[in-house]
Amino acid sequence: MRPLLRLDHLRKSYGERHLLDLDGLEIEAGHAYAVTGDNGAGKTTLLRILAGLEPGEIAGFEFRGVPLTHGRLPDNVRHDIVYVHQHPYLFHTTVVHNIGYGLAARGIDGAERRRLVEEAIAWAGVDHLRGLPPAKLSGGEKQRVALARARVLKPYLFLLDEPTANLDGEARGQAIALIRQLVQDNGSLLIACHDRELIELPGMRRFHLENGKLVEA
Amino acid sequence: MSLLDATGAAFRLLFGGDPELWRIVFISLKVALLGLAIAALPGILAGYLLAMKRFRGRRALVVLTQSLLAFPTVVVGLVLYMLLSRHGPLGSLALLFTQNAMILGQAILVFPILVAYTLSAVQGADPRAHETAVSLGAGPLRAALTMLNETRFAVFAGVINGFGRAISEVGCALMIGGNIAGLTRNITTAIALETSKGEFAQGIALGMVLVVLALGVNLVMAMLQGEGGMK
Repeated sequence: MRPLLRLDHLRKSYGERHLLDLDGLEIEAGHAYAVTGDNGAGKTTLLRILAGLEPGEIAGFEFRGVPLTHGRLPDNVRHDIVYVHQHPYLFHTTVVHNIGYGLAARGIDGAERRRLVEEAIAWAGVDHLRGLPPAKLSGGEKQRVALARARVLKPYLFLLDEPTANLDGEARGQAIALIRQLVQDNGSLLIACHDRELIELPGMRRFHLENGKLVEA
Repeated sequence: MSLLDATGAAFRLLFGGDPELWRIVFISLKVALLGLAIAALPGILAGYLLAMKRFRGRRALVVLTQSLLAFPTVVVGLVLYMLLSRHGPLGSLALLFTQNAMILGQAILVFPILVAYTLSAVQGADPRAHETAVSLGAGPLRAALTMLNETRFAVFAGVINGFGRAISEVGCALMIGGNIAGLTRNITTAIALETSKGEFAQGIALGMVLVVLALGVNLVMAMLQGEGGMK
């Protein structure tokens, strides 16, 4: 079976420093992968390159069986991959607008968008936050809104950057519960993380980044 | 006429509904607002592109914009006068000493303010904002509108500041408007004329209108900064 995403040799340097020198990476559809590594190992950079937010030297890139020139991701691929920042950014509008933003970008309007947004709000358990300005939400609440905003798009691949970093207690547990659901729903995820509980979720495959190389952990 | 008498006469002009005075105020507002409206879209767009795009000559354009902020209005008036005068390259348009010429002048004066404010606002915005928009599938236009909405308080502060410059400048309006009564005489040119004739009453009345407008502009700015601080 063809992988969802395959890349041949990825290299990323900052001046003389080679941050990433991957021989290859394959992500199968319906599987979740945790990328571990020390701080500064290049986990975030790897995700950002895959999201098309940063350039990288890539010998070959294939997504859903279609080879791509990885300069700027074409619109159809950008619509298939969603990246969530470590500290998610919520637009200064409303929670509802934030969750519906990507749907609007895809031309989904009216009753259908409202229905999907309501479904996502219920999924993430953020109904009580809808009246609050996003700037007033806590880190955990922002993460849940950001996960709902990503999930509502039903992307082929989620790229989650340290989704539980700086969260503790209940907020961390709630974020992990949502990610566990994404994994159980056969979502394809690539998660940069340190969090032991997240790494050990059932079905999670592991990569480890060390000296710019990716090794199966 | 003493200062007290002149001030009393100014109040009588203001509250007596003097048609000439209020026509001057109307011309001022019309010219400033239309100049602002013409400059708004290109100014904000140019500021956004300067903030987001990297290209050869960008730095020079940023420096030029900042320099234009401090450009004397009378020099803009002089250049426009030469361009629009009968023997100038744009003389055939017959714009000199018309409200349209004044509107053009105000638009040119306001443009760099809008560029600079938008540039500063977008450049200072959280880089995750644009990345989030793009990652959620926004195309260039939607991403640009999102960024401008995210920085709306700072961008609107530029619009308010631009209006402040347009309504209060005198050099450009005087040179290319010609201070023609009922046609191109606005608040600032009227104050200059009345003062030179020793007729202080109308000058003081118009000065009071201008001060009220300036206070209003600053009040709106302060409110916007307060709103922006809420984020």
